[in-house]
Amino acid sequence: MEINLQAVRRVFEDVLNGSMLREQADRWAHAVIQEEETAVVTYSPPRERERIWAGVMYLYGIDTMTGPNAYLHTDDDISRGMIASIGAVGDEVADDNSVGSRATVATLHRKQVGPHH
Amino acid sequence: MTFDDLRPDMDAASLDVTRTADATTERPALTIMVTPRPIPPTSSNEPLSPERLRQIDRVFFGPFFREKYGAAGDKALQNSRIRYYGPVQPTNNAGELVGRRYVHEFDIMTGLTRGWHETLDRMGNIRQIRPERNDGIKRHYQFDSNGRYKGSW
Repeated sequence: MEINLQAVRRVFEDVLNGSMLREQADRWAHAVIQEEETAVVTYSPPRERERIWAGVMYLYGIDTMTGPNAYLHTDDDISRGMIASIGAVGDEVADDNSVGSRATVATLHRKQVGPHH
Repeated sequence: MTFDDLRPDMDAASLDVTRTADATTERPALTIMVTPRPIPPTSSNEPLSPERLRQIDRVFFGPFFREKYGAAGDKALQNSRIRYYGPVQPTNNAGELVGRRYVHEFDIMTGLTRGWHETLDRMGNIRQIRPERNDGIKRHYQFDSNGRYKGSW
């Protein structure tokens, strides 16, 4: 699996604009972490590894709740969390491939969205 | 470096034997009985001390787990396990709750890992945990401010 900063940002944005459920974002991040455990994740570019990982780790557990139907985080929390972990919009490097990142995210969606959601 | 490098007792015993053997060579007239100290077995059932656990972690496993999961620190437990703490992801939503963090636990004796999400209150008490289960089912276990289990959902 190859992952870049834009792919992570897109998941954040999809959550914030309502086109992705938090539960899906959590499972997407979990899939990345599982891949990382088997050491087959490629970070593109490699120098952004730290920010990419911080974003993934924020998304992992983003659907934590305080009670049935009550999320722990507000959208405002998530916006701040996105900036704190991966930086503001425009921080990406120029050679990121947005088409590729979208495809990666879409693939993971299909894999991770199961019947329990 | 090997696992045995982290056993100072064994190194000391080996050193003593070597020194005594040299002495025997230099002074053959003396009969010196060398009684090496027992070397602790590598498969000892005695639990590792937290200090030793940390030593092992620093040398062998730290780069794999601390970098990924231990941004906010780690803790060596008595039962051969090390917990790595992620940063608290803050919330302004939930009154007394301040945020959540991911905890990753590694058992150095079995190689098994497990993880869970903790929700913390402003006093630093763990008020909720959500284990990562293999079947993907998410269940929240809640506690009061005194650590008493309240229930799950």
